[in-house]
Amino acid sequence: MFKKILIANRGEIACRVIKTARKMGIATVAVYSEADRRALHVQLADEAVCIGPAPSKESYLAMDKIIAVCKQTGAEAVHPGYGFLSENEEFARRLEEEGIVFIGPKHAAIAAMGDKIASKKLAMQAGVNTIPGYNDPIESADEAVRIARDIGYPVMIKASAGGGGKGLRVAYDDAQCREGFESCRNEARNAFGDDRVFIEKFVEEPRHIEIQVFGDAYGNYVYLFERECSVQRRHQKVVEEAPSPFIDPDTRRAMGEQAVALARAVQYQSAGTVEFVVGKDKSFYFLEMNTRLQVEHPVTEMITGLDLVEWMIRIAAGEKLPLSQSELRIDGWAMECRINAEDPFRGFLPSTGRLVKFRPPAEVPGQLRVDTGVYEGGEISMYYDSMIAKLIVHGRDRLEAIERMQEALDAFVIRGIHSNIPFQAALMQHPRFREGRLTTGFIAEEFPEGFTPEMVPHEDPLMLRLILAAVEHKLRLRNARLSGQMNGHRYTPSPNYQVIDAQGATAATVEELSDTRFVVRSGDRVLQIDFDPRWRLGEIVLQVRIGDAPMTVQLEREGILYVLRHHGAELRARVLPAHIAALWSLMPVKSPPDMSKFLLSPMPGLLREVAVAEGQEVKAGEKLAVIEAMKMENILRAEQDGKVKKIVAKPGASLAVDEVILEFE
Amino acid sequence: MQDIIRRLEEQRARARLGGGERRIAAQHAKGKLTARERIEVLLDEGSFEEWDMFKEHRCTDFGMDEEHIPGDGVVTGYGTINGRLVFVFSQDFTVFGGSLSEAHAEKICKIMDQAMKVGAPVIGLNDSGGARIQEGVASLGGYADVFQRNVLASGVIPQISMIMGPCAGGAVYSPAMTDFIFMVKDTSYMFVTGPDVVKTVTHEEVTAEELGGAITHTTRSGVADAAFENDIEALLQLRRFFDFLPLNNREKPPVRPTSDVAERMEPSLDTLVPDNPNQPYDIKELILKVVDEGDFFEIQPDYAKNIVVGFGRMEGKTVGFVANQPMVLAGCLDIKSSIKAARFVRFCDAFNIPIVTFVDVPGFLPGTAQEYGGIIKHGAKLLYAYAEATVPKITVITRKAYGGAYDVMSSKHLRGDVNFAWPTAEIAVMGPKGAVEIIFRDEKNDPEKIAAREAEYREKFANPFVAARRGYIDDVIMPHATRKRICRSLAMLEDKKLENPWRKHGNIPL
Repeated sequence: MFKKILIANRGEIACRVIKTARKMGIATVAVYSEADRRALHVQLADEAVCIGPAPSKESYLAMDKIIAVCKQTGAEAVHPGYGFLSENEEFARRLEEEGIVFIGPKHAAIAAMGDKIASKKLAMQAGVNTIPGYNDPIESADEAVRIARDIGYPVMIKASAGGGGKGLRVAYDDAQCREGFESCRNEARNAFGDDRVFIEKFVEEPRHIEIQVFGDAYGNYVYLFERECSVQRRHQKVVEEAPSPFIDPDTRRAMGEQAVALARAVQYQSAGTVEFVVGKDKSFYFLEMNTRLQVEHPVTEMITGLDLVEWMIRIAAGEKLPLSQSELRIDGWAMECRINAEDPFRGFLPSTGRLVKFRPPAEVPGQLRVDTGVYEGGEISMYYDSMIAKLIVHGRDRLEAIERMQEALDAFVIRGIHSNIPFQAALMQHPRFREGRLTTGFIAEEFPEGFTPEMVPHEDPLMLRLILAAVEHKLRLRNARLSGQMNGHRYTPSPNYQVIDAQGATAATVEELSDTRFVVRSGDRVLQIDFDPRWRLGEIVLQVRIGDAPMTVQLEREGILYVLRHHGAELRARVLPAHIAALWSLMPVKSPPDMSKFLLSPMPGLLREVAVAEGQEVKAGEKLAVIEAMKMENILRAEQDGKVKKIVAKPGASLAVDEVILEFE
Repeated sequence: MQDIIRRLEEQRARARLGGGERRIAAQHAKGKLTARERIEVLLDEGSFEEWDMFKEHRCTDFGMDEEHIPGDGVVTGYGTINGRLVFVFSQDFTVFGGSLSEAHAEKICKIMDQAMKVGAPVIGLNDSGGARIQEGVASLGGYADVFQRNVLASGVIPQISMIMGPCAGGAVYSPAMTDFIFMVKDTSYMFVTGPDVVKTVTHEEVTAEELGGAITHTTRSGVADAAFENDIEALLQLRRFFDFLPLNNREKPPVRPTSDVAERMEPSLDTLVPDNPNQPYDIKELILKVVDEGDFFEIQPDYAKNIVVGFGRMEGKTVGFVANQPMVLAGCLDIKSSIKAARFVRFCDAFNIPIVTFVDVPGFLPGTAQEYGGIIKHGAKLLYAYAEATVPKITVITRKAYGGAYDVMSSKHLRGDVNFAWPTAEIAVMGPKGAVEIIFRDEKNDPEKIAAREAEYREKFANPFVAARRGYIDDVIMPHATRKRICRSLAMLEDKKLENPWRKHGNIPL
């Protein structure tokens, strides 16, 4: 076994690999860029070496530097994690040449699977289902129909130059095929000046289901079942689970065996993932093979009880696969939510900055696992991927897993930057998600207009209001224990409140039974609320018991306004003593200031360019400015016609969210 | 007897109606509460004891003898906020537009005199059209009687003003002499001369809101200490604010039980100061992570933001925080921030509130605007205030403490009781670059030599150890333990006794 390995990665996956290495008694070397000087993986590793400036090209992708660090520190092997150099054939080859072990497949296997067309051919030869299609341009409608019949309906007719939904037709019979062919060709000619048209099988209600495979140097192969990753936003996976709620044991075995056949065809030695698209009739077709550890590998670990990184290291060290296919079992259900630094309420724009608060829920062995590469007080920079943590839960069945995930999301506190936790919480609540009726279009279909707080109604808003009444009473009782009160005239707050939110006012009477036990009455509803005795005022996460049911909420106060969050829902309310609440209706309703005359920065980032000048007339859709954040250039365009009055921010400036860039007349 | 009781009830009912239902409706239509409703919101329910409900004016000119409304435009008395005594006057805009008559002023003076005798704060809820013009000089005399009491009460009992409507002309000077002025957004304004006079004299066109609204006074003039959205929010926040203050200058601030613990560690503070010495960070994060329950009441949050001042609690006891804010002007001291902090420090000192100072100051802001504006005198105010203060003073240098600004910011030399530094502290006359260019002027054209000198200077002074060796720093502490170290220091200083020499009063550079 190796004595020391280097991890050529950063973030949660570097930390994840270090954990296993430590468990196996292997020393670890971290590499880091200048932006990651204070990163968690640097602190966790036994040794850490800075390999260059923040941009990945000059650090995490710089092979020469990483190889030099291997030699300098005496690392015998390199774990590449995912992303960066993990599927880089040249890197694997060069390490081999230097006598350093690449903890991953051999470079030939990486090369074989790296090319989309070549890998598809290889898959066909290995007997793996591929999407039936005809890869030469089709000349006539008759030919189209002949081919479509060959493939079997439904088919997709698509223009060679197509994109963005243009030049795409689905046909379920000959007539549709004829018509689709003609219109697709015309559209393609007019839109792209290229009328080449192809036909392939149309997969209805497609799901993304992938098989985890492993191979060793002795010709042994196994599959570790499937993961379903259909919940995607713009081709980025959001929630992953294992097993899939869709496929049956026969399909699982068929997919697993095909995946193994493909691995065998390239003499695959390590962890790999064979991705399939699965249609509503459970037909499945090969998409591609990922020759690395996947982000979502923990769900497989949770249902199999195995450590995939440990397997990778053992195989790389020349050991045999620890288990054979017949020894592998699926236990229960696992699910993973990716926690990203992005603002779900602003079109998921990246969010960067200092993690003023970062309190993940406490891990529970076998039930809840948190993989992260950041910590409270750390910095989310604009240079790297926005994923900062993964929540992984395990339950006896899917619903139990979902409930554990909800609980975990409720208890996860991130402040200073925005996160997609509210969106993940909303997904866990979504009826279609809970039923497991997933397709890769799930998010696009269910959230076509984006995501707003109103999309997450709470199942019991009255309960949330009554919890707030209890919190306010608890607070007022405590405040009334202030020293220096008039002798014999101590103040006792009255127990009658009104909870006032956007929906109206709710009367509530609170009775204090003990320091932590309160009974709240509102109309017919009586709620006994037990506060966690360890909870301290000012702490965001509040655990209560409502009767017998435990519940985790997040509670904050802005002036006299409470913000309570639970299951992705948000209640903003004021709790006023009844005699004051009667006067609340007299208070003027103020609308927020009109900012439509301003162009505001939608995210923190660097102002790359201001594309207009003062006094310039602009048309709706015209480019106004470019902001760079998280490696991405974001173009801000005019929403309506107007004239630029003043340019407030200068190019090169670091902008905060909502900072004014320019003003219109 | 029965008759008298019936008459009493009738008269009370009449007095409670103030200027009548029509005027009450007009007040409500403006989004404002009446004088009595405001008291209801401010004080503990049922605790208000009203005085002089039946008092009336004695004016006979201009038909005023025909118009008498009991109470004469101001509701006065006392009550409690979380059980603690407070005197209140609340001007009633529905009665003669809340204008101040001789009788009106007498009512205010009466509760102020009583508050001084028993040692309890006075809260004024201002909503007045100004002087009762019909009364002429009697009204002006009334103002001056109030002013005189404001001055005598200053530093003896806390005085707080909440501006909830107009407050113009001479009337502004009573709030101006109280300790804190709060305002309600959109419905209150304060100015010495109104928009009409301004237009006549200077030809400036300006609205009342622009001239003296809550935004103006909390962001531009610094006259007001905070602004709130509406009457109810303002009064409930005033309750919260009041809980920080002692009742008078002979008492210690109140203690509020808390479940927060002194030993709470905050590991994230270890990364608060960035690696790059020129990169800003938010000093409020430090305050919020150090105070009890993250509960901090900031004073003047939108004015002179390069310094942060406000109240919090440590182990339940009130503490005044003063902190340079690196996010604004790199945390430099300038005219506005010096005055803001000086006034806050003096309030804390007058009322026995310990002061915790967080220092990250690269110096005083340079420039003609500052020098012509008198930064010498204004900067001296803060120096004076710190030097004069005898309350417990704890200082934590988080990063830069350069030049004269190091001395000013509650240094050991100004009788700082406990002076800590974080490992990231740099205590020096100036930053390494500037220092080297002066000391080694001859080598200026040799970048290599200068770089070496700079490194030497950084090595020597860009750390807390030189100051620590001299005893200017009592200890270098880990940022994550800041709360614990401050709590222990405050406990040690609980019975601190320190007196300045007797004098009539000092001569602070005004």
